[in-house]
Amino acid sequence: MSTYLTKRLLYMLIILFAASLLIFILYASTPGDFITGNIKLTAERKAELREIYGLNKPVLERYGIWMNNAFHGDFGYSLAQQKPVLQLFNDYIWNSFLLAAVSTFLTWVIAVIVGVISAYKQYSWFDTLVMVAIFAAMSLPSFFIGLFLIKILAVDLKWLPPGGMITTGSHATGLAYLKEVVRHMALPVVVMTLLGLGSLTRYFRSNMIDVLKQDYIRTARAKGLKERKVLFRHALRNALLPAITLVGFELPALFGGSLIIEQIFNWPGIGQLYMKSFGLRDYPLLMGFTMFIAILTVIGTLLSDILYRVADPRVRL
Amino acid sequence: MRKSTLVLSTLLIAGSMLLAACSDNSSNSASGNTPASASATADPGTAGTEKPASPAPVPAGALSEPFTATDLTKLPAVAQNRTDTIIVGLTDPSGAFTPYFQESGYDGNVSSLLYASLVTVDDKGVPAPELAESWDVSDDQLTYTFHLRKGLKFSDGSPLTAEDVAFTWTIQYDKAYDGGSSVPSMNVKGGKAYKEGTAKTVEGIKVIDPQTISVTLEKPNATALVTLGSNVLSKAYYGKDYTFGHLEYIKKLHEHPLGDGPYKLEKFLPGQEVRFTANENYFKGKPKTEHFIYKTSEGDVWQFLETGEVDYASFSATDENIEKLKALGFVNILPYTPSTYGYMQVNLKHEQLKDKEVRQAIMYGLDRQSIYVDAAQGAGSIANIPASPISWAYTEEGINPYKYDPEKAKQLLDQAGWTVGANGIREKAGKPLTIHYLGSKSKNTDIFIAVAKENFEALGIEFQPEVFADFNSLVSKVEGGDYDLVSFSTSMLTDPADGFMQFFDGEITDYDNPKFLELYNKALATTDIEQRKAVYKELYQLFNDELPILFTSYKKTVYAYNGRIQNLTVSPFIGLAGSLPEWTLK
Repeated sequence: MSTYLTKRLLYMLIILFAASLLIFILYASTPGDFITGNIKLTAERKAELREIYGLNKPVLERYGIWMNNAFHGDFGYSLAQQKPVLQLFNDYIWNSFLLAAVSTFLTWVIAVIVGVISAYKQYSWFDTLVMVAIFAAMSLPSFFIGLFLIKILAVDLKWLPPGGMITTGSHATGLAYLKEVVRHMALPVVVMTLLGLGSLTRYFRSNMIDVLKQDYIRTARAKGLKERKVLFRHALRNALLPAITLVGFELPALFGGSLIIEQIFNWPGIGQLYMKSFGLRDYPLLMGFTMFIAILTVIGTLLSDILYRVADPRVRL
Repeated sequence: MRKSTLVLSTLLIAGSMLLAACSDNSSNSASGNTPASASATADPGTAGTEKPASPAPVPAGALSEPFTATDLTKLPAVAQNRTDTIIVGLTDPSGAFTPYFQESGYDGNVSSLLYASLVTVDDKGVPAPELAESWDVSDDQLTYTFHLRKGLKFSDGSPLTAEDVAFTWTIQYDKAYDGGSSVPSMNVKGGKAYKEGTAKTVEGIKVIDPQTISVTLEKPNATALVTLGSNVLSKAYYGKDYTFGHLEYIKKLHEHPLGDGPYKLEKFLPGQEVRFTANENYFKGKPKTEHFIYKTSEGDVWQFLETGEVDYASFSATDENIEKLKALGFVNILPYTPSTYGYMQVNLKHEQLKDKEVRQAIMYGLDRQSIYVDAAQGAGSIANIPASPISWAYTEEGINPYKYDPEKAKQLLDQAGWTVGANGIREKAGKPLTIHYLGSKSKNTDIFIAVAKENFEALGIEFQPEVFADFNSLVSKVEGGDYDLVSFSTSMLTDPADGFMQFFDGEITDYDNPKFLELYNKALATTDIEQRKAVYKELYQLFNDELPILFTSYKKTVYAYNGRIQNLTVSPFIGLAGSLPEWTLK
């Protein structure tokens, strides 16, 4: 196990190094740079600014500088936002995380419950209904369903706020603040959950159906175990095993933000910021965020491997 | 839902020429922000993409007069309950609130409320006193002397004096200054020596007494008055750590601004809102409404206006938007023409476009009325000169309107030697006449391409459009020279000279007409408005005939605001900052 871990960690470092180089070169070679878009500047001023920002140096040298700073904990200074990249992360990522964490949690809970029931009652009216509903939810574009809900629930009925994270100008603290945030996140969480639910429910349903056909389930039933026990102790545990792999992959998504949802609901998340910084070629922010996601992805993969080992003793690492 | 239009907009605070780049997507052109600061838009969209405006002939259906709310009882309770706070949507302030050091124009909107200027501009763009009660210009037009009002204070109560003004100008000549301000290009005497480190101070800047400061330029420049007469940074606050060559420390102060404007910053919530409170030390007296909030509204601002979460928003002046706004009942609507114009940059290096007649033929042959006015539902009007209809220099005298006339266009092409070849495409010396067009992805670009394709086909020109979703890529392509026409929109123009900016900032390098340079410099050599007007008229006539760029359209927008707000006016040059201190809630 420990040799395995050392090996894995070493691979991770190599992967991250290669990824950072590749990402840096890709960003640097997209046409235009941070200065290009500012068409009000004279050519001399543009050259001066490129000099100040170091954009006139060769790509590899710029990469070296970036890497060196990163090793010293300095992820640079966002050119467009005029703030340290890490401070920006801190300002925005937690908002994205809040939405993602709650909706991921809901998605998993609902998907497991619905998946198990519809597998158990395969081809029943419930199963059919759920499948129709799920396909419908999966095929709806998120911006459509988001705007539709805003129109109905926020603009027409005025039950929920149309966007943002707090009521504008609110000085609420403590419990009142919590209540405000919950009200504001209700709509985006519903939309995100609806969108994520489909594939996960189908995944659990088919896993469960497979497991229910196994011999050990028949044995359990033959032993005279209660159906509930068969279902939840014997079947579900085995059906969930492959899903553990998915948990690791959720990690980057938890922090990555959602561009569309954040934009529609005016949520102060990182997704919007990232998209914008691409349009502006704000290299430090782009690089910092992409690497952050890359690190999370690598860690997530490792995490799911280890979890798998923990959950299933048959797996050797 | 990020709109495909990636509009890179550079806004500068009216006087202060703060350069900023930010990407702004206007969906239904509803953008919550006010062009409080000059909003310089490198509008990728085919010019006129957004909603242009009309000077003389008001298109049917467009709103020409302010509209007053019909039924204030429809005002949502949320808005009704706000008694001392006004909320305005602003696309995306980033938190860099120090003037001259901002990259985003939205930050410029914020700082335009936090800082007052020495000199402001009135509704026509004519300089007017603000912190400076008067100024003198020497006879050689090189030395400007500003006389500050007495008893000026920053919001913390500390005095504002000529020393602060000198400091503000000086740091922009520091070699570490990396902002986009136009002050460095004013060529203050000794600025270069200071930047190179050979002088301890900028020679041209002289503090005469605490209320008087003069600045000497190397070359006359009529825009210097407003450019130099911009925001003032407190030397005691922003300058206490300053040493030559080091300005990084200012970044730490971005979120803790100390200004002298009508409002001061209460709190900045990144991605959410910027909260202001009235500044009791504002030189015109404390603003009438205690609190003001810029709410970050990246996407569609309709939902916030409808539910009363914002009090003020801007929309493209399409018939559809205006009808919808009127139907709300509780908003007043104010028609507005931004101080910008749309144009197509012409690649003058290419043989086929070097010829004035070909450029004129394109102007005649493009159905600009359909593209910019009709398809935009009246939210635009046609431009024929490099100035906005609201500018003091605007004129239609002796200006060819280039009414859609395909026959005339064909005739001009014939004259220029381009004859129709075998496949219907015109040729000259065996070379077919093709136009490679670049535009930014947007609905308006789509309209342009659809109409232009037909128009060009009728003229016998082969039209090859190319659309970019990313503004920087478009600009790179233009810099590479691989284009014939490319659509842009100017940034906000304060001085008429700004309308010719693209010929001096390195973008357009191939138009060397000595007459143009002579007139351009002549217009800058004096600060007398009447004299300048006459020169600009001549310049506009020259450009209208020569067409070194092809003029496309003006935008037209409307401001919709909660009917309870009184005394609201919007200046095309300084946005709402000018009248905001007077706003009251009924």
